[in-house]
Amino acid sequence: MRLSVQHLISTRRLISIQRLTQPWVNRLGIQLVLLATLMLSGCAGDKSILDPAGQAARDVVMIWWVMLGFGTVVLVMVTVLWLFTFKRKEVTRTPAEERRVARRWIIGGGILLPVASITALLAFGVPTGQRMLTLPLGEPPEVIEVIGHQWWWEVRYPGAEGGEVVTSNQLIMPAGEPVDFHVTGADVIHAFWVPRLGGKIDMVPGRVNKIRLEADEPAVFGAQCAEFCGAQHTQMQLYVEAVERDEYDAWLAARQENPLSSLATNDQQHEPAREAFMNHCASCHRVAGLSNGDEGPDLSDLGSRTSLGAGIMAMEEGAVTHWLQHHQQLKPGNKMPPHDDIDTATLASLGAWLETLTP
Amino acid sequence: MTTIDRDVSPPGDQRHPDQLHSDLNEIWGNPRGLKALTIVNHTTLGLRFMITGMVFFLIGGMLAMLVRTQLALPDQDFMTPDIYNQVTTMHGTVMMFLFAIPILEGLAIYMIPKMIGARDLVCPRLTSLGYWCYLFGGIIITFSLIIEMAPNSGWFMYTPLSSSEYSPGLGSDFWLLGITFVEISALSAGVELVVSILRTRTQGMALHKMPLFAWYILAMAMMIVLGFPPLILGSILLELERAAGMPFFDVAGGGDPILWQHLFWLFGHPEVYIIFLPAAGIVSTLIPVFAGRPIVGYGWVVFAIITTGFISFGLWVHHMFTVGIPQLAQAFFSAASMLVAVPTAIQVFVWLATLWLGKPKMKLPMLWIVGFLVIFVCGGLTGVMLALVPFNWQVHDTHFVVAHMHYVLVGGMFFPLIAGLYYWLPLFSGRMPSETLGKWGFWLTFIGFNTTFLIMHWTGLLGMPRRVYSYEPGMGWDITNLISSVGGFIMSAGIAMVLLDMALHFRFGKPAKTNPWHSDGLEWANRMPPSAYNFVSLPNIETRHPLWDDPELPRTIAEGQHGLAVATHGRREMWGTDPLTGKVREIIHLPGNSWWPLFAAMALAVVCLSLLTRLYPLAAIAVVIAVLFLLRWSWENGAHPKAAPDAQVAPGDPPLHSRTMDGPGLWAMSITMLANGSFFLSYLFGWFYLWTVSPGWRMPDESPLSLVGLLVAGGVLTLGAGILEKQVHGLRQKRDAGLAIGMFGISALGFVQVGITLWVLLSAELAVTESSHDAIIMVGLAYALLHGGLGAVLALLQGLRVGFGYVGAHAPFEPAVVAQLWRYNVATFWIIVGALAVLPRVIGS
Repeated sequence: MRLSVQHLISTRRLISIQRLTQPWVNRLGIQLVLLATLMLSGCAGDKSILDPAGQAARDVVMIWWVMLGFGTVVLVMVTVLWLFTFKRKEVTRTPAEERRVARRWIIGGGILLPVASITALLAFGVPTGQRMLTLPLGEPPEVIEVIGHQWWWEVRYPGAEGGEVVTSNQLIMPAGEPVDFHVTGADVIHAFWVPRLGGKIDMVPGRVNKIRLEADEPAVFGAQCAEFCGAQHTQMQLYVEAVERDEYDAWLAARQENPLSSLATNDQQHEPAREAFMNHCASCHRVAGLSNGDEGPDLSDLGSRTSLGAGIMAMEEGAVTHWLQHHQQLKPGNKMPPHDDIDTATLASLGAWLETLTP
Repeated sequence: MTTIDRDVSPPGDQRHPDQLHSDLNEIWGNPRGLKALTIVNHTTLGLRFMITGMVFFLIGGMLAMLVRTQLALPDQDFMTPDIYNQVTTMHGTVMMFLFAIPILEGLAIYMIPKMIGARDLVCPRLTSLGYWCYLFGGIIITFSLIIEMAPNSGWFMYTPLSSSEYSPGLGSDFWLLGITFVEISALSAGVELVVSILRTRTQGMALHKMPLFAWYILAMAMMIVLGFPPLILGSILLELERAAGMPFFDVAGGGDPILWQHLFWLFGHPEVYIIFLPAAGIVSTLIPVFAGRPIVGYGWVVFAIITTGFISFGLWVHHMFTVGIPQLAQAFFSAASMLVAVPTAIQVFVWLATLWLGKPKMKLPMLWIVGFLVIFVCGGLTGVMLALVPFNWQVHDTHFVVAHMHYVLVGGMFFPLIAGLYYWLPLFSGRMPSETLGKWGFWLTFIGFNTTFLIMHWTGLLGMPRRVYSYEPGMGWDITNLISSVGGFIMSAGIAMVLLDMALHFRFGKPAKTNPWHSDGLEWANRMPPSAYNFVSLPNIETRHPLWDDPELPRTIAEGQHGLAVATHGRREMWGTDPLTGKVREIIHLPGNSWWPLFAAMALAVVCLSLLTRLYPLAAIAVVIAVLFLLRWSWENGAHPKAAPDAQVAPGDPPLHSRTMDGPGLWAMSITMLANGSFFLSYLFGWFYLWTVSPGWRMPDESPLSLVGLLVAGGVLTLGAGILEKQVHGLRQKRDAGLAIGMFGISALGFVQVGITLWVLLSAELAVTESSHDAIIMVGLAYALLHGGLGAVLALLQGLRVGFGYVGAHAPFEPAVVAQLWRYNVATFWIIVGALAVLPRVIGS
């Protein structure tokens, strides 16, 4: 089932401005409906390892079910045997017979059983990880760089035609082909993880780690930081969208320096907002054509993103202004300074202008 | 070294058993009131460890309930993110460091001497120091919660998150300093248990005849000795980075955050086996008793214990599979992690075979053992799953791991612990536990535990990561978290019932008969509760099942029919025996109650607190005071008037240990040097790791260290050590001419070496805050300086003691102990010179 990002987010209880104003009873009702829906779907879930959307993830799930089955059999068998010894009728044996029985149990259960199981597990299990290694391929795959910050994602496309494309808190990838992710951490150790596509890889300052993921079909996947990185580790989320190749190329082309710069600087009516941006925001944030700040997320195509704050808020009309006004309540401790010194009107105009940055 | 072959020693002084009891009590008895702080007796200290451990367990449990309350429903925020992160970090820290290890140590401290026929552990004042360090360190760390400044970077404190840039404030420092303080207690218990098990078993108890529990504890203690030092090194390095800016883990300065992970897990993996082995020891002790027959594969179990101990040191990277380790290394650690299941499976099937061939009875302790089996085997199976790298990449850092970890820790440690406590309760108190209340407690705990954690595997598979303070609804995590939280409350009720049962039985339990479970273990030959000296007389034991082979033993021991049933000389005595054969070699005399351990621990607490609050001058003063207390304590040894000034023994008895050259002190020094060696090897690992792997490593073209200076210093040190060897050799032949002068000379050489090494350090002008290369070299030289200084001071003290008449041909053993330290110092000094000054010159950067 192909889901659009908006559909996906709107069925979920992200902190959006409408939600915050609804009465308590309404929220409970929606929760119950969602609960029922999800109970029925069982394994499914945006971030569920058991709902694979790529071959690597599928291989791991299969191995999981096999391991679960085998493990259950062993556990039940051992438990039943132990309990049985309490109920059994007594049998007299000679010391030699006793030694033989003992040896059979110890060697059979203590050595042969584990060694055989381990060998089988390694033999079948190890190849399932091969797909995620960045081994050389006939055709070199697309490379996407992801850099983890406290608590947002910097995403770079070094191979984009026409020059590197940089964005934040969104990740578009081509579907149906392997993609190599090169990741690192800018401050502390984070981890990049798209559960429905494959395993996680740590984003370690000072090194570049690599993992190969492939989405079967266009879809949206939940992703999140998977290495404890501080106060807002919980709210470092990401939506990964896999799209058809031509859509991907078009998306990249629209985010080259030139189109982005004209997008940011053309519209005259937003001149006051641009000025406010240069005064208060430009030292930390980049907007193509205006500034080069690299402390905080790049904002050049903010209006086209589906979520804000690293996946914690749906992008709707007024969402950016809402974030600017309340971000320390929405994501306490986030590194953007609270904007008590800027009046509401200016923040509103900033928000309105940023929302127009939609290539 | 004399080995004496003896039958039951002639009673000699044939006194009435009651008279013997009161005589022994006069020497061994525990004082009351304020003086109770001076008690060094292992029975009292073991109980103190266990009760304090239980208190910390309750604290850790309450922290867990706070977590489960927040996670019961989505979007809860009664704890802010920072408080929540403090609570989760402290839950793990308190449970692992302040509950699991100390309570098992406490059980071992209590039980081992009684099982091996000894009257106390071999260094009683060290046991006491260990307890006070544990108590004070635990209070310091827990205090951080009260002031809302607890560590919040997770219980394994990964860098850079835990460093000063991303965790300003005192949280990480509380952890680093407090835990290192508590680790003194683990290391001291580890050293003591190794030496006690190897050298103080009663006459005749050969190594292959000792109780299995002693084998398990021997392995645990050796693992503590070798496994804790990497963390101690890591903690020191991180604290230096935080307090002094030395960039061991900071990429900008040439450090590597992954180094912390290696040092932590080099400790962290053996740690969980340190926790599991004593618990498995409890299982191996209880199953034969309740099956009514000896365990079927004693040799198999010993093999499994030793193999587990070894293999567990080769698994640590399985905590780091997602970090970017090369594939070949991952494959090795994956296979090794699965392989460790084999010795565990051997034990499980030995237990099964014992039950199969016996007549098992489902008494209350056995119920907990069955609970252990189900939960622990489940945890072991998920562990093997986690060892498979591709699966690990999916479930690492999710609630699947949280579930696995609780299955192996609660199943593999808590359930056997409760089984053991119920089993030994009559020994502690003289009363039997209640079956009814106990059964209710078991079932509530068992059901509650599984409700909490079984479904948690599923929560992890649905993608819920660890250490999140809340979660959104609609992920499928809502119902599973609610179930887990409800289970948590059920489990709490069960644990409360168990603790209530144990507390009540002290008042209302039925008085117990001698050996109420019909056990084979020697510990049951004690009075219930035991007297301070355990056994009135020390029997000759040559069987694995003393009380089955000789049910009269409790009576004959109490009647003084066996060895060392005398108290006329006023000394606390027990046998010192050969580690393999159990033949008697010497009489070990032990110190009585003492204030020194408490004073030393108090001084160390001041050191800890002043480092925490960055009052460095105060810290320096407190260090000096602590060292003075420790040295003053060591002064009251051997032939000192307060120890054993008079070496008289009954005719036919072996000599006092302080009049031989191979006493337990030498063994304790050797085992301590093993721990020290592990610390040193970890340091070398850090040096070579940073050199070869660290991304920003910068090594100067020319080494800043003066090779000439180091060679001269090394030469002086070696000369001093050589002279000391000659002195010791002379003492072996009863020659002590010029001993005092010799000692002073050796000490002077030691101080000269320290001076030259200090000159090398200062003239190198190391930029320790700018370069990890310079910082790590500084640590190595500081290590050499401290050890050289210690060796010089101890040699000086020996010279003084010769003057006082405490050391000489008549009491030769102390110089041999000091010589052991000097040998270690020489070896490590030359390795430092080679690794830090020669190799870089030869290889280049």
